[in-house]
Amino acid sequence: MLRDDGLLIKKFDKLLIANRGEIAMRILRAARELGIATVAVYSDADRNAPHVRFADEAYHIGPPPARESYLVVEKLLDVARRSGAEAIHPGYGFLAEREAFAQACTDAGIVFVGPPARAIGIMGDKLMARATVTAAGVPVVPGTTPGQSDEEMRAAAIGMGFPVLVKAAAGGGGKGMRPVNRAEELPDAFASARREAKAAFGDDTVYIEKMITEARHIEIQLLADSHGNTIYLGERECSLQRRHQKLIEEAPSFVVDADLRRRMGEVAVAAARAVDYVNAGTIEFLLDRDKNFYFLEMNTRVQVEHPVTELVTGLDIVQEQLRIARGRRLRLRQEDVRIKGWAIECRINAEDPYNNYLPSTGTITASHLPTGPGVRVDTGVHVGNEISPYYDSMISKLICYGETRGEAVLRMRRALEEYRILGVKTNIPFHQHMMDSHRFLSGQFDTKFVEERFSMDDRESSHALEAALLATLAAHEQNQRAAQIVAPGARDTSNWKWLSRWERLRR
Amino acid sequence: MKYIAIVKDQEYTIEIDPDKGILIDDVPHEIDFRRLPSGGVTSLLMNNRSISAVIEEMGDYWDVLIAGELYAVRVQDERAYRLERMRSSGLTVDGEAVVTSPMPGIIVAVPVAVGDVVRHGDKVIILESMKMENELRAPCDGVVTHVFVSPGGAVEKDQPLVGISQGGEDAPDEDTAASAE
Repeated sequence: MLRDDGLLIKKFDKLLIANRGEIAMRILRAARELGIATVAVYSDADRNAPHVRFADEAYHIGPPPARESYLVVEKLLDVARRSGAEAIHPGYGFLAEREAFAQACTDAGIVFVGPPARAIGIMGDKLMARATVTAAGVPVVPGTTPGQSDEEMRAAAIGMGFPVLVKAAAGGGGKGMRPVNRAEELPDAFASARREAKAAFGDDTVYIEKMITEARHIEIQLLADSHGNTIYLGERECSLQRRHQKLIEEAPSFVVDADLRRRMGEVAVAAARAVDYVNAGTIEFLLDRDKNFYFLEMNTRVQVEHPVTELVTGLDIVQEQLRIARGRRLRLRQEDVRIKGWAIECRINAEDPYNNYLPSTGTITASHLPTGPGVRVDTGVHVGNEISPYYDSMISKLICYGETRGEAVLRMRRALEEYRILGVKTNIPFHQHMMDSHRFLSGQFDTKFVEERFSMDDRESSHALEAALLATLAAHEQNQRAAQIVAPGARDTSNWKWLSRWERLRR
Repeated sequence: MKYIAIVKDQEYTIEIDPDKGILIDDVPHEIDFRRLPSGGVTSLLMNNRSISAVIEEMGDYWDVLIAGELYAVRVQDERAYRLERMRSSGLTVDGEAVVTSPMPGIIVAVPVAVGDVVRHGDKVIILESMKMENELRAPCDGVVTHVFVSPGGAVEKDQPLVGISQGGEDAPDEDTAASAE
């Protein structure tokens, strides 16, 4: 069925996954469970990546830079044709929110597992999105309208009062966004936001929004089928961010009660209906101190943090996406959605929390995943894989579930301790420090908490002595081995009691 | 055999002696250390306290991962340690600090020029990598002596970007006065 807004809905049995990393793995698993055949794509940098091995078929699409591989629409459509894939799931990032890609899929007779191209187009243009949802009665943050000159924006900023945010109309993920505290800072902010927006999105239109201080970032997960049913799956709390990159998400939120959840959910549904939305989507809100909420933007794709909602609702959001794209009706009505327990997600990134969160590149030499009750790890990186500068720095997502928030935090602490990755520096100590912080435990944080009131400096290195000893023993062992001439095979290198062995060598 | 292990600015003297066993800062400990067959995993029983770690040699230091925390440990035997102390003590006067690229990327901006006076922590390079702009900062007070790169240029890991002469005559030295108190 081809809808008026360009969305093609039909049953399909073979799916192309136009992505890499953990989200490619996530989609592969959902498709496999539904008995859908899978097609992966990979760049030169990803030949050894797990998503290539887990798919039924895999096709090479070019060199490592995304603009020469994962972002090339023609290559992906060509793979779909060659492989006979009838549908494409874009994941998040890359082509997920490109209106032209969704349209190109439809034009090629391929099901795009996502919303209609038109909905992507409207929601992807922040100014148009604001106008559209405002007309549907959704509250938005005060800001400027499109096409204003720098002077007009400056006047508007002074009118609404500082601080303000300079934002890219085509922006997302914090790119092309600059906070501004004084009118004198505006020219610089315009210039750098435009530069970043031009590079990231090819569009340097910017506008100004009032900055809501002490705000929390709360988002509502939606599911909409092609038969006019739209439901909300509760909220996610995503206030713990750095440079507008989310680091920790949880569901439900500490500050959202049943009444607020219902009100935000209903407004979110109205915003989605305003663009005839279909498939999974998320409405992001800012929630101020007085529990007023403002529409921020709609993410017209599956979100990185979708697992926390899955754990507290018992749903498989990616499977729901596939079902919706195949034309099925939602199996749940709003009153069937129950939030049970608490889930927290930590994004494990290759970055050094002790050195200004500088990204860390390298080859993963060891990876031991945490397991046990209430622990889920979504990862697309295995031992031997490289964390390269071509793609983002996320290694995996560690998600823990508990009956209560406290239980989820205890599980997360335990799982973070168990998780072992070597080869790159990771932000696991950041997460551990957060899980120990009183402010986090008492739910007292906003979107500025990580940047302004959280420091790694007061973290104690409790195992420095043991680390020193272990390194010394390993170095000594190596020295001894180098000094001895031992016939090959005459020694066992595993499982020996170190001290006695050492003594034996000395005698 | 006596070793000096340095981790996070802390030094431990660790002695491995066939008669006395293992002494850490002259205190004997009961140690059982094993390497397990998989991927660098080790098990340490220290006075029966169980510590599990992953160890990897990184050239002139060791990475030790314990309970989520990564420790970079330098291990030297006593002689090498003394030698290095002697050498390094005479060398800090006119050394140049070089800011190198921590990863491959593209230079977005170079906010300093040769001759600029910079303070510890000042932005000297903006590097784009992994889809993010990263600020690289001056490791010390001083004067910019070299700028090796320009905006738009691609750089490799460890490539020199900016040279800074540490606290030379041109640098304001109010800091030295303050720290002398």
